[in-house]
Amino acid sequence: MSEEKVLTARLYDIQGFSVQDGPGIRTTAFLKGCPLHCPWCHSPESQAYYPQLSYIDMRCLGVEACDSRCIKACPHNAIELGGERLDAKTNEMLQTVHVKRDLCDNCFKCSEVCYPDALYRCGDDYTVDQLVARLLQDRRFFKRGGGVTISGGECLTQPAFVLEVLKRLKDEGINTAVDTTGFCKWEIIESIMPYTDLFLYDLKHMDSEKHKAVTGVPNEIILDNCRKIAENGGKMQIRIPVIPMFNDDEENIRKTAEFCVPLGDAVTVIQLLPYHNLGVTKYLRISDKPVMEATPPTDEFMEKLKAIMEEYGLPVTIH
Amino acid sequence: MYELKPISDRVKRVREKYRNTKPKIDINRYRLVTEFYMNNPQLTGVLKRAKNLRNLFENMPILINEDEIIVGWQGASYRCCALYPETSFNWFMKELRTNNIRTRTADPYLLDEEDEKYLLETGDFWDKNSMSAIYDEYMPRYHRDHMCGNGVLFFGKKNNAQSPVGHFVANFWTATQKGFGAIAQEARDKMAQYEEEGLRDDTIFKYNFYRAVDIVSTGLIHWSKRYAAEAKRQADECTDPERKAELLEMADTLDWIMEHPCRNFHDAVQCIYLYQLAMCMDGQQHGISYGRVDQYLGRYYEQDLANGTITPEKAQEIMDLFYLKVAECNKIWSEGATKSGPGYTSGQLMTMGGVDKDGNDATNGVTYLMLQSAGRLLLHDPPQALRIHEGTPDELWEAAIETTKRCGGVPTFESDTVIIPAMMKRGIPLEDARNYCLHGCVEPGIGGYEWAQPGGTGTESYLNIVNAFLLAINNGTNPMRFPGAPEPEQTGPATGYLYNMESMDEVLAAVKEQFFFFCKWQCANINAWESIIGFHNPLPMVSATVEGCMDSGKDVMWGGAKYNSTGNSCIGIGNVADSLNIIDYLCFKTKKVSTREMYDAIMDNWEGHEELRQYINGQVPRLGNGDAEADKYMNFTAQTYADAINCRTGPRGRFSAGCYPVTCNVLFGYFTWATPDGRKFGEPLTDGISPVQGMDKHGPVSLLNSILNFDQSEYGNGTLCNMKFHPTALKGADGLMKLRTIMETYFEEGGMELQLNIIGSDTLRDAQKHPENYKDLVVRVAGFSAYFVEVFEDCQNDLIRRTELAL
Repeated sequence: MSEEKVLTARLYDIQGFSVQDGPGIRTTAFLKGCPLHCPWCHSPESQAYYPQLSYIDMRCLGVEACDSRCIKACPHNAIELGGERLDAKTNEMLQTVHVKRDLCDNCFKCSEVCYPDALYRCGDDYTVDQLVARLLQDRRFFKRGGGVTISGGECLTQPAFVLEVLKRLKDEGINTAVDTTGFCKWEIIESIMPYTDLFLYDLKHMDSEKHKAVTGVPNEIILDNCRKIAENGGKMQIRIPVIPMFNDDEENIRKTAEFCVPLGDAVTVIQLLPYHNLGVTKYLRISDKPVMEATPPTDEFMEKLKAIMEEYGLPVTIH
Repeated sequence: MYELKPISDRVKRVREKYRNTKPKIDINRYRLVTEFYMNNPQLTGVLKRAKNLRNLFENMPILINEDEIIVGWQGASYRCCALYPETSFNWFMKELRTNNIRTRTADPYLLDEEDEKYLLETGDFWDKNSMSAIYDEYMPRYHRDHMCGNGVLFFGKKNNAQSPVGHFVANFWTATQKGFGAIAQEARDKMAQYEEEGLRDDTIFKYNFYRAVDIVSTGLIHWSKRYAAEAKRQADECTDPERKAELLEMADTLDWIMEHPCRNFHDAVQCIYLYQLAMCMDGQQHGISYGRVDQYLGRYYEQDLANGTITPEKAQEIMDLFYLKVAECNKIWSEGATKSGPGYTSGQLMTMGGVDKDGNDATNGVTYLMLQSAGRLLLHDPPQALRIHEGTPDELWEAAIETTKRCGGVPTFESDTVIIPAMMKRGIPLEDARNYCLHGCVEPGIGGYEWAQPGGTGTESYLNIVNAFLLAINNGTNPMRFPGAPEPEQTGPATGYLYNMESMDEVLAAVKEQFFFFCKWQCANINAWESIIGFHNPLPMVSATVEGCMDSGKDVMWGGAKYNSTGNSCIGIGNVADSLNIIDYLCFKTKKVSTREMYDAIMDNWEGHEELRQYINGQVPRLGNGDAEADKYMNFTAQTYADAINCRTGPRGRFSAGCYPVTCNVLFGYFTWATPDGRKFGEPLTDGISPVQGMDKHGPVSLLNSILNFDQSEYGNGTLCNMKFHPTALKGADGLMKLRTIMETYFEEGGMELQLNIIGSDTLRDAQKHPENYKDLVVRVAGFSAYFVEVFEDCQNDLIRRTELAL
């Protein structure tokens, strides 16, 4: 029997009724790994390509209940007693654990014995068949523009897989959306365009240096790909994360608007996404490092930015 | 954008009064009925009931409160509660003697000392005169001698049937359009005809039925005229010219309606309210429902608008006051039963929307008046059900979703696509099937045309199939052991023990055998009960309008209605299905756990098996997550119960399967031993057709995919699916459309009913801590909504534990 290499991709989540990722009711596949490292990222577990040990203390049943199975299982002594948490059901305090990240090598011996998935492996490999079968389970709910969104991380860092999945979905008549940073070779986007009904396309900053300083990559490729999608008849929802002290100044907003105007009909809507700090707790799942925390913009402020962009005749919503 | 219009000052005052008046026991009805029964042992059956009701019509106090336009009441003070000793009363006497009525945690009542004294002096009369006592004597012998303690059926050795016949709908078209003057005349004509014929054969029974209809119909007219006289008296004394004119108008309406066909919207609303109240006063308000309110009121509203005799604002105010009047209705339940229906609810469900007999959208102006009243008054009662079909207007969808966002579970959403064919499976032709409404909680039936008896015997209609499952793996014996009680006996078929079963097929065969055995006995008991109660407590006031009765000369309880059936409901499909799934996965497919180990873990209530329990809760594919292998047991469980019920016949027609829990899932949980799904003894069972609480971890789409695995059109008596969304999941106009799409898809694919709470668990927890800030927070509990702060704590916790569907 010939050994044919089976195409796989690494995912960190699949989410049904994913109402924030495009029109209608969608099921979103989140691929792992991203070339950008935005400090406000609300899915920090999406950034690394390798599988990571993740920990949600709210799920921990307490070391008494499980006889410290995780601590005993760890060959590197990377798990120690952590804080206590209040169990809402019993109103009792539970002794939870803490992962010493410098000692952990992601061997997952602990998560294998953690039955409530407080410690769990974040990042599983899927074949195209597996993923498509899972996505199609939800198809009867894909009405009124709903369908599948491929997101990340940056899903286009695993382009062959994404292309194959999109083709299969289009064969099934499913509406497809790709959520991308746009930071990839044009050829990759070009290859998936025939099978992509909509791009969810992020614009983070118009100044390349500032873009690079904060996200780790410059913006020329991103802006260039954006224009090319428009030129080649693609449709985009432009998404602008509004981050305090980074890109929320009037100048940047105006420049973003000026960039969007020539894209014309290609832009179905511009979504302003106000920064929120709900991602902060997610960082704690995979790391102890301090994370960016800022005050979310007020509704009035968001309305002001919206009004500015609307001066340019653009369709804008606050998401 | 859907908007709630401002409420008039008068309505605000009444609502304030409603929310601030603590319900009180009123003994007027009790006294009249007790004296009537004591003084009339010579009367039995239909005549006794008819004359008892006429006695109430003639002697109950007449109460017209300030600010009211729609009037009628069952006692002498605002928001008081009448007593119905004819059904069962020893539970009340027990609570009275332990001084529990005023102090109990759920639904306490005020009670005057003098009234208490009278109750203590006379209450024991009902020990041997209540319907419950009568039924206990007539209960089938085998059940009484060999089946006690089975835990599957609610029927026990004694104190059965504490609830009356309920969950029915009269024919309000006949009440409004024909009037009771004509009905009484028809009854008298029939009597004259039988007399003419010499009352041959056994026509005396029919003759007495017509006599009863005449008695209650003329009684009802008399009652209305007593209210007219009171309105006139108040008008004479009134110095405010505006109120005076209003009282005179009310007097005119009350003097006219009931006897004659209604002339306008005000007439019609007052007529349906008073007729409904009469049925409540006769038969105890046990889920007695209003049917398709917009359909029978619509013509009057549209006609008045066209005539220019009413404005939308005026009609809305009448509607508001009508709703507040229905909300005011409450009845005391035993403390135990309060755990199945907390929150001073009387369950007078109203249906709106849907299609007409030709299949066209039936929405009209009254549909919107109803949603406005429910939404802006923030009322948990009366419950509202909206029929959804392909042609439901966008505007109505929007109004309904906005209402349910404000007011949990108001309205519930019901699918014409599934329910109409389910009605046709009961043998009802398409045209009539299209006229279905919801009864009691969620049970469909052709109100006014069908005697669907969807609530069956009240509490006894419920089957705890989780215990049937436990008997299946424990050789027919319920493993429940009360401390100090004798060893449990074998009550079901000897189907063997789990540890001797060698394949999943053996397990399934055992479950099937128990289901069929207990469904047979369930129906046997109900049949016995129906026949006995049909003789002692028939319902001539209802039969006066229900299609078929006046033609056949038979009460609804004797099969007089055009269509007939009897409803039933099971509790715990999710627990049984997931338990089967887990046994299959662990004991047979992966062989990780032996059947002995699993059996011991359950019998030990998981003590000493915590690791296995954690493994089951965290690592086994569970029902409700789109896992086909797990979900197939949903189909097995639901279909097996439906087959076991639907194949049986009662005295009037076929039985019909259902699955809606009220909050019996919490109540039954107290008395159900541990189960393989990781549930410990005493924890709640699953709610409606939902999976085990908190075990559906992949959002609403996977959840509904799992539920759609069984054929709901086999559930002619209704299914109930609660969904709790966090408000953030539905932000903006787009969110509304997405929610609608979820519901539409569920309905198109075979889902029958959905009810939503759009509220975060965080909010509910805060409400537990600070009830004073959440006095008006309405949540959908089960077959009804309630003010969250008024339901008992375990039920609050069950609501919080329900999976929150959000991002």
